[in-house]
Amino acid sequence: MAGHGDSSSSQKKSSEVMNDVPTFSAENLQNNMKVIYYSRTFMSIIGGVIAGILGFTGFMGFIFYFLVMAVTSIGLIAKSKFSVHSYFDSWNRIILDGFMGGLMSFVLFWTFAYDIVHIF
Amino acid sequence: MGLGFMIGVFGVLILSHAAYSTIQYRGLLKIMEEEFSGPPMNVVLELLLGFFFCIWAALTVPGNFLSIHPESEENRIVSLSANLDFMIFNHRAKVFPLEIDMKLKH
Repeated sequence: MAGHGDSSSSQKKSSEVMNDVPTFSAENLQNNMKVIYYSRTFMSIIGGVIAGILGFTGFMGFIFYFLVMAVTSIGLIAKSKFSVHSYFDSWNRIILDGFMGGLMSFVLFWTFAYDIVHIF
Repeated sequence: MGLGFMIGVFGVLILSHAAYSTIQYRGLLKIMEEEFSGPPMNVVLELLLGFFFCIWAALTVPGNFLSIHPESEENRIVSLSANLDFMIFNHRAKVFPLEIDMKLKH
């Protein structure tokens, strides 16, 4: 049985699950969050490069970023085979997590690609 | 994992080729002294293709989702981390014959 000092997985005995808050394996949840983070960061970078190549300036670029993030969210939900609750504990994680950090990467690569393609 | 990575690299290569085409297109526009309104259609198609390859790579390369329910099929086995307190060395393997090949050192 899992020891008390074991921090890698938090699983309770099945007799306690019935009258307890729903519990989940934190290690697997962390792994899932890591997967989402990598996917979103990579797609932010690719979205930034595409926005720079297409020559978006100003507001259009941010609209494009939201579009790319929406497509990534849909892709992640499809990857979890539409049963989000068996991999995450709330909807917010798969939809909103990594949004702001991705925005910084997006703007960086957007200006980078725009400069390379259109200015130099 | 290898295939997804290759597809991702391929998508990035397609994007860089599209960037190069756009740079050449802009050079052409400078010669003809026209305004840049948008990249040509084949560049847009190339960007779309590269985008789809990169999305596919972004969804498959980082790894699979693991189920967080303790009672799901793949979480059945409880695994303890390698903890020195639980390792024992005083077990039955000592009755096995030794398999050291005795080589004379020169």
